[in-house]
Amino acid sequence: MSDDVRVNGEEPTTGEGGSPDYDNAFDAIVVGAGLAGSAAAVTMANEGLDVLVIERGRYPGAKNVFGGVLYTPTLRELVDVTSAPVERYVAEKRFSMLSERDETAVSLRPGEWHDPPHNDSYTVLRGEFDRWFAEQAVEAGAVLVTETTVTGLLRDDRGKRILGVETDRPDGAITADYVVLAEGGNSLVSEGADLKSVERAENIAVGVKEVLEFPGNDTAIPDRFRLSDDAGASYHYFGEGAVGDAVGGGFIYTNEDTISVGLAYRLADARGRQPKPEQTLNAFKSHPAVAPLVRGARTVEYGAKTIPEGGHESIPKLIHDGAVVVGDAAGLVLNNGVHLEGTNMAIESGHLAGEAVVEATRRSRTDEAALRSYPERLESSFVVQNLERYGWLMERVEADRDFIFEELPHALADAGAEYFRMDREPKEEHAEAARDRVLEAVGGWRGAAKLAYRYREVIR
Amino acid sequence: MSTTAPNVPNVTPEEPTTENDSLADRLYTVRYDDAGDSHLGVTVPGICAEKCHSYDCTSVCPADVWRKGEDGVPHIAYENCLECGSCRWACPHGNVEWSYPTRGAGVSYKKG
Ligand SMILES: Cc1cc2nc3c(=O)[nH]c(=O)nc-3n(C[C@H](O)[C@H](O)[C@H](O)COP(=O)(O)OP(=O)(O)OC[C@H]3O[C@@H](n4cnc5c(N)ncnc54)[C@H](O)[C@@H]3O)c2cc1C
Ligand code: SF4
Ligand code: SF4
Repeated sequence: MSDDVRVNGEEPTTGEGGSPDYDNAFDAIVVGAGLAGSAAAVTMANEGLDVLVIERGRYPGAKNVFGGVLYTPTLRELVDVTSAPVERYVAEKRFSMLSERDETAVSLRPGEWHDPPHNDSYTVLRGEFDRWFAEQAVEAGAVLVTETTVTGLLRDDRGKRILGVETDRPDGAITADYVVLAEGGNSLVSEGADLKSVERAENIAVGVKEVLEFPGNDTAIPDRFRLSDDAGASYHYFGEGAVGDAVGGGFIYTNEDTISVGLAYRLADARGRQPKPEQTLNAFKSHPAVAPLVRGARTVEYGAKTIPEGGHESIPKLIHDGAVVVGDAAGLVLNNGVHLEGTNMAIESGHLAGEAVVEATRRSRTDEAALRSYPERLESSFVVQNLERYGWLMERVEADRDFIFEELPHALADAGAEYFRMDREPKEEHAEAARDRVLEAVGGWRGAAKLAYRYREVIR
Repeated sequence: MSTTAPNVPNVTPEEPTTENDSLADRLYTVRYDDAGDSHLGVTVPGICAEKCHSYDCTSVCPADVWRKGEDGVPHIAYENCLECGSCRWACPHGNVEWSYPTRGAGVSYKKG
């Protein structure tokens, strides 16, 4: 690997040992050129701050895997997105329950999603998108250094105020007034500096994903997913046919000429004698309702990544003397089965933290209190509001897991089969049988009423 | 109920098949730059050998990096690692040493 510093724009002056001499050259250092990091960098650079973004990958995005759908309400406010490398807009959301053999699905294709801004939902590939987003930060004036890992934080003599970062370059310490920790969920720097504790395996999901192409079949994606032009689909799967008896789900997202197929489920459920994530993925792809969608496909790329899904209660302290924590590093992901959203929260938190840093520099302050507007505004934004709102759901789903992931998919499929059964009995009997099958699963009318009550807030 | 096969028209029921690539082929799709030494390790090998019965590091890893060794200490094929972090949280004894490969080494995704 080459030792030269990959910096966009001007070459920095080189100090001893071949390392760039960046000391005190920057107002803020951003750790990680992911979504949260680039959002913070754009925000600060636009306001005239000198910003250094440090990324450990060979380029921004080189280390980043996600499902697929980027949510853009905040992004559109920050940068001109007309040249953004998106794959398709999401025109259909489909939710599907899989038992071992059955599928019961609901599909939503609101006409409105075809109109700009397409419900702010686009499939993207992070290898391309993150690179583009970081370029927007560079165009706004930020300096980007890649192939450099932040290995720790610098503190003052009292061990309190954060003064900058330590990197894996020779003489790699760099000082700045503020450090923005945008390092994602595997937050070794924040944990190492005691800014957050290590999450429990119950609050982490393992995700595996394949990007698939259809060699020699140009119409496979529009035909199989019923799409025209740039319209795309986002398919979500639950139940034992998707992830066995784990809490989690599967997904298929359509890109321009590939599809992203994958799973995410609780790490605690992957322990022990469970099939390995790769085998669970194989089983999902072989399900009778999924196999025809991926038939004849070839693997373009295989990837894996974890999701912090501890929700509201896992959010660490967000501000420190001289530092802020944003995005997945702060646990800001909503993953409750119906929603899997982290991109919008990463961008929003990076942006709000960036604004807090800008304000603090104007007052020449680096103490924690001067950064308070970040947690305050995050608290009243959709980020914390949504995490709070669905906090209870995961616990309840966990308590009802056998019912939700095994009995219910079976019962719904059986009920469907009963309801539409074609024989020489009157339909009334089929309807009764279908109802009985569902009632049996939910524990009678009383059970149904209790369940409706337990989950009422889903549609509150 | 009759035990004879039902009298039905001649149709073929679907038998879905999916050809999944082997893990080796899958791992071949991502670029890997070798940093020269392992970014993964175990803190106390004795814990793996004597205390650990679940070998969760091996069951959660999507890239078959961790393999149970004969002496009870896992072998670590670090050059398969996709840097997902799962093993770090999964080990019930907090015995996984996990650092990032240095200077841009390790896995590089094109698509992600
Ligand atoms: C399987 C899966 C599916 C998902 N699907 C969706 C989805 O469909 N929609 C959605 O909205 N969200 C989804 N998410 C969540 C979403 O991907 C994250 O919430 C989002 O990427 C968080 O952005 P971030 O910038 O905080 O962190 P990241 O995107 O993880 O970026 C962190 C960056 O920091 C760099 N870095 C880390 N440590 C260091 C260091 N020490 N030094 C230098 N650089 C460092 C990394 O290389 C990386 O570039 C999914 C996540 C997973 C794992
Ligand atoms: S799970 Fe932890 S203790 Fe057990 S073998 Fe793996 S690393 Fe060792
Ligand atoms: S980080 Fe992920 S891919 Fe790498 S060894 Fe751990 S579990 Fe396996």
